[in-house]
Amino acid sequence: MLLIPCPNCGERDEGEFNYGGRARVFPPIEKTASVEDWHRSIHFASHEQGQVHEYWYHHGGCECWIEVKRNLHNHEIAAVNATRSDTDRSGT
Amino acid sequence: MQASRLESGGYIDRNSSIEFFFDGRSLTGYRGDTLASALLANNVSMVARSIKYHRPRGILSAGLEEPNALVACVDEAGNLIPNLKATEVWLQPGLKAHSQNNWPCLKIDVGALLQLFSRFLSAGFYYKTFMWPPSGWPRVYEKLIRQVAGQGRVTLGADQKYYDRRQTRCDTLVIGAGSQGIVEALAASGRNESVLLVDQDSRVGGSSQWDLQPGDAGNQQQWLKQKLIQLEQASNIRCMANTLAFGQYDHGLVLAVEQHTSGVHSIYWRIRAKRIVLATGSIEQPLIFPGNDRPGIMLAAATRQYIYRYAVKPGRRAFLAIIDPADRAATATALVHAGVEIVGELGEGEVISATKGRYRLKMVCVFSRHGQQKIYQCDLLCVSAGWSRNSDLSAQIGKDRFEVAGNSQNQAHGGGAWSFVDYQNDVQCSDIESAVHEGFSHVEHTKRYTTVGMGTDQGKTSWYGTTQALADLTGRQFGSISRTTMRPPYSPVSFGALAGANTDQHMVPVRRSPFHSVLEKYRCVFQTSGEWLYSRYFPVADESMIDAVCREVFAVRNAVGCVDMSTLGKVDVKGADAIRFLSRVYCNDIENIQAGRLRYAVMLREDGMVFDDGTVSCLAENHFLITMTTANSAAVWRWLNRLLQVHWPELDVQLTLVTDHYASLAIAGPNARSLLADMSPEFGCNRDDFPFASVRTGWLDEKVSCRVFSLSYSGELSFEINVPARHAHWLYQRVIELGADHGVTPYGLEALDVLRIEKGHLAVGTEIDGRTTAQDLGLGNMVATHKDYIGASLLQRPVLKDTNRLQLVGLVPVDDTRDIPTGAQLVDRKWCAGDVMNSIGRMTAVINSPTLGCSIGLALLKHGHHRFQDTLWAASPIENRSTEVRVVDRCFYDPGGSRLRD
Amino acid sequence: MKYSAFSLLQNGFDRDSRWPSILPCVTPKDRYDIIIVGGGAHGLACAHYLAKNHGITDVLVLDSAWIGGGNTGRNTAIVRSDYLLEASFKLKNFSLELWKSLSQELNYNVMYSPRGYIDLAHSDGELEHFISRANAMRLSGARAEILSPQQIESLEPSINLHTKSRFPVSGGLFQPDGGLVRHDAVAWGFARSAGRAGIDIVQNCGVSGFGVRNSRINWVQTVQGKIHCAKVLITAAGASSELARLAGFELPVEMINVQAFVSEPVKPVLDKVINYNAGLAYISQTGKGELVMGGATDGYPSFARRGSFARIEDTLVRALQIFPFLSNLRLMRHWSGTADIPMDGNAIVGISPLENMYLNCGWGYAGFKATPAVGWTMAELLATDQTPDLLAPFALDRFKSGALIDDAGIGPYPWLH
Repeated sequence: MLLIPCPNCGERDEGEFNYGGRARVFPPIEKTASVEDWHRSIHFASHEQGQVHEYWYHHGGCECWIEVKRNLHNHEIAAVNATRSDTDRSGT
Repeated sequence: MQASRLESGGYIDRNSSIEFFFDGRSLTGYRGDTLASALLANNVSMVARSIKYHRPRGILSAGLEEPNALVACVDEAGNLIPNLKATEVWLQPGLKAHSQNNWPCLKIDVGALLQLFSRFLSAGFYYKTFMWPPSGWPRVYEKLIRQVAGQGRVTLGADQKYYDRRQTRCDTLVIGAGSQGIVEALAASGRNESVLLVDQDSRVGGSSQWDLQPGDAGNQQQWLKQKLIQLEQASNIRCMANTLAFGQYDHGLVLAVEQHTSGVHSIYWRIRAKRIVLATGSIEQPLIFPGNDRPGIMLAAATRQYIYRYAVKPGRRAFLAIIDPADRAATATALVHAGVEIVGELGEGEVISATKGRYRLKMVCVFSRHGQQKIYQCDLLCVSAGWSRNSDLSAQIGKDRFEVAGNSQNQAHGGGAWSFVDYQNDVQCSDIESAVHEGFSHVEHTKRYTTVGMGTDQGKTSWYGTTQALADLTGRQFGSISRTTMRPPYSPVSFGALAGANTDQHMVPVRRSPFHSVLEKYRCVFQTSGEWLYSRYFPVADESMIDAVCREVFAVRNAVGCVDMSTLGKVDVKGADAIRFLSRVYCNDIENIQAGRLRYAVMLREDGMVFDDGTVSCLAENHFLITMTTANSAAVWRWLNRLLQVHWPELDVQLTLVTDHYASLAIAGPNARSLLADMSPEFGCNRDDFPFASVRTGWLDEKVSCRVFSLSYSGELSFEINVPARHAHWLYQRVIELGADHGVTPYGLEALDVLRIEKGHLAVGTEIDGRTTAQDLGLGNMVATHKDYIGASLLQRPVLKDTNRLQLVGLVPVDDTRDIPTGAQLVDRKWCAGDVMNSIGRMTAVINSPTLGCSIGLALLKHGHHRFQDTLWAASPIENRSTEVRVVDRCFYDPGGSRLRD
Repeated sequence: MKYSAFSLLQNGFDRDSRWPSILPCVTPKDRYDIIIVGGGAHGLACAHYLAKNHGITDVLVLDSAWIGGGNTGRNTAIVRSDYLLEASFKLKNFSLELWKSLSQELNYNVMYSPRGYIDLAHSDGELEHFISRANAMRLSGARAEILSPQQIESLEPSINLHTKSRFPVSGGLFQPDGGLVRHDAVAWGFARSAGRAGIDIVQNCGVSGFGVRNSRINWVQTVQGKIHCAKVLITAAGASSELARLAGFELPVEMINVQAFVSEPVKPVLDKVINYNAGLAYISQTGKGELVMGGATDGYPSFARRGSFARIEDTLVRALQIFPFLSNLRLMRHWSGTADIPMDGNAIVGISPLENMYLNCGWGYAGFKATPAVGWTMAELLATDQTPDLLAPFALDRFKSGALIDDAGIGPYPWLH
């Protein structure tokens, strides 16, 4: 099982996380994006090979979405970043 | 009585004599014996029949690489544990072991007749025949083959053993506590690392405890003794014997199983180590020659181990066929020590041409370089082609290839009959040869075609020989032939141990609503749905479920009922951008929602399909409470967090998951408002103060804070009362108490489903099935056109706007005395038995409506929204009938909604 | 040389005779009409049907390693057609029809064993879904039945549905024609047949590029040189994305690891193929006696062909719910494969963005059962350039048009399918 280094919680077992797909950008919600824009964003992954950026969600810990750079051929994790940068995540 | 036990020596406890049984025969051994060593001590040499040819087999090795000596043992509950290696079973009082794969008994096995047909039964023969007649394979041939295949037998009784599961971490994990492992462990300890040293054997110290090199025995023992003391004294080294590290996984994870002998049967360990050292030694390889599988043929190092460790005399007269001179000398020394006569040795250029002996080796025939044949009368043949490094664990994660330690050549293979390359699967040299000739020369093909290496020993004593044979047959270099992918576990591991306590009810945690125990008091029947235990219905006296549900529905439609709604997801949403956020997330118009009001809302996936439905309640400016369906609760929570954290971090919104904070009880029915008023005068006085689709906060009994939502799933006037979860019981009792005057009736999800179907409301899993759009579900009017939201773009894809799609409609039987079959498919004309027809839709929900007095259903029908009043047929070949139905609006009851608004 | 009991006897008596190789060593020519990239069961089936149905034999099948070494050799060998959506059901049901006589057609025993497939439901609601599916199957002429727990227990004596379990079983869908096939034999049988028809099969010959001009493939670059062709079919499962990339386009597919495992071989104890739906576990017993089990995917992408052991545990504890006796058996081996799963969970078959390149990919972990039908229909497409009706729904452009085939209703998240 993968050991994923959560930026908030440290190294935690894969079972605490949900994989959330390759890192991708959604078109803006402003009625300017076309079907083609969303089709490309949702249906196609990035052009990355081997080492890719992915989203993982730490459901069993801080409940933060993190961006992980991982090698798909040997599962080595090269980098992990928090997604949202501000510190107030917990609500009141 | 133990005819082949040496008088002294060995790491066995001669004070602890143990009685055990093999095939019903009572024998004795000592504590410290394996079943194999105890059998050998009792002069039992044949212990099994091989899988395919039912050849008599004995004990080849002294460890987990044993391919032949498979037995079944009876556990305390009387169940058979099949396919155990006699070399891995430690002797326990009362142990009952049985040989496998023979009938009527081990000695006289009918299956042995198969040897007569061996030339027709070579590897892969079953691909070339059994094809005629076509039904022959499933009806006859396959049944026969299955009976003959398989090793041990299974008993169907439940396992009553206890298993435990633990985790641990360390800086350095050393797998293998032989001399190399001990050195590594001590070195790591010296560097102040936390060390875990594991070995699957019952003792730490490895083979150098008994594998005495001639001339050096004293020093070796002394050295080991010193090291063991150091191990003991090092405070940062943990030693675990009886622990098999069976697999290596990502990021320093090693999984292991520790065997115990009492109480807990075994412990399944998850070990995370920063550094893993494999000190797993090497595995000795047998020689390949005609007749190399008889009982009495034993690996040289195993011979030495039986002599020195177990004080067993493995035979009376021995012949040595050992390539390495040092091993040969050591074996000879051991045999002499045990009083075994050495009748000869395989010399340079000599090959073994045959062996004889039915149930035990009797003689060995050797061809010399000059073509001379010599015959040796012996009952023990010690073989060794050399050693191969045991690197399975590293190969499992893609590192390391097949390595051979030492310079070994497997002499004298091929040609003769019964030259086995893989003992357990009865694969001979000739099979490898056939495989290569037939095009299966890639090692993975060879393996699958001949089944070499696919046994429970995972080819530990066969890969070397196979590789040698392939090299010779294909003219490739030995080193260029890769080994097949090594897969965990290193040696078979009990399913029971891996499952641990996660069996029966404990497989997955049960999630209960805060009302659970008070509902139990009201004799609720629960139902498992996902992780939850739902209240299903509340039978009175001994009424059936159908009767209970009818009564509950009637009560809701005519008086008032109460139902637990706590499982719905709830999220508290706050922030300056809250409404902006929610507006992007839901497809309907919610921007102008006022404080104190709520709205039914539909959330789409990015691809335009309906994801979930629920409500949005405005509690105050910039403060909302949204609800999700139970089934999608976790997915929606994850999704909302993703949107805010990943895609729209600029929005000022804070979310809090409050599903478990509140107990939610809905009271529904014409008397709901009066009941609410009784509970607290500030609520429900009249409909202007607390209209439909609004939310109020207040107090019940002046002490319990609550929030009440006026919304309805059932179609009756309804209020969902939320209180802090710890007040669930109080709330329920209060409702029942005050509701008595109003005819309150508890109801469950079964009745709620009937009510919502009568109203044409949607449910996840039936109508919201991940393939329907809002338009398909008849919610097209709700979808906003003036704003952008998740899913808006892809919803414009042409196929999603096609009116020929499956669209949600209501159906009633044309003849209202007939009922619509559950799960019926829709067709355009009457279906009769045997008809093949195209389906134009299907039922999503069917009930016998107590309120309407007839069968009704919701259905997804092609072009449905344009087919009102059309008639078609609901066909159920499963029930062998079809019913003519008419397409109607999906809201069967109170379409104007007047009951909701008083 | 034809395989039969008679020739087996003949060969047995004649000590010197040898069976001819099913995979003769071939050096590829410079040019072929059709190059099939991927020597798994699908690619080999396509080759066989090109020869048999259309008389086309100027075909080269390439594999980067050994034939059948990808998902063909890793799946749990279950065949069935009880799928919800019409497109999925029709293709797989056609496949089931072909399985019935495949051994005879290929003169190779692929061991089609219609022992029956039982899909277990855990609530009345789920059972209702199954009834719906069974009705759809019966309307199409396929056999299907709905069974109560008691009926299931009498059909499969080793199953235990009456002891209280975490997700009690309320009934099941039974497909009598579903069952098992020997997966390796399928690849070998098709290979032998195609080879005998004159089609070249070359192993250890990876593809490293394509010569593309004006939206057409002119040649394929392999480790054995450049090979020209009129048409190319990509049918390489886990390697599909990479091959597409080399050809200059992308596929809406993610590569997800999926695992399976076996127990040690035991005497016959499990007769049917059983699927436990709550969290997923499917189990059957092979002809050799091993109990083979699989479950959900690992839930994240990987090319490493190894996965998380937690998934094995998840599958195992579910199998134990209905087969408690498994507790006394042992795990012998577990392995992985790379499941190429598209954005709606269903295969992508048909024409690619390039004029003469065809795709057969995205079968995920559900491809094996469809093998003969895929071979048949792909051969038809390659031979006639007309898309057969059975294949039309699986077109690549369905993601743009919205004509998705999402059996599970999960959405554009391959790792959840």
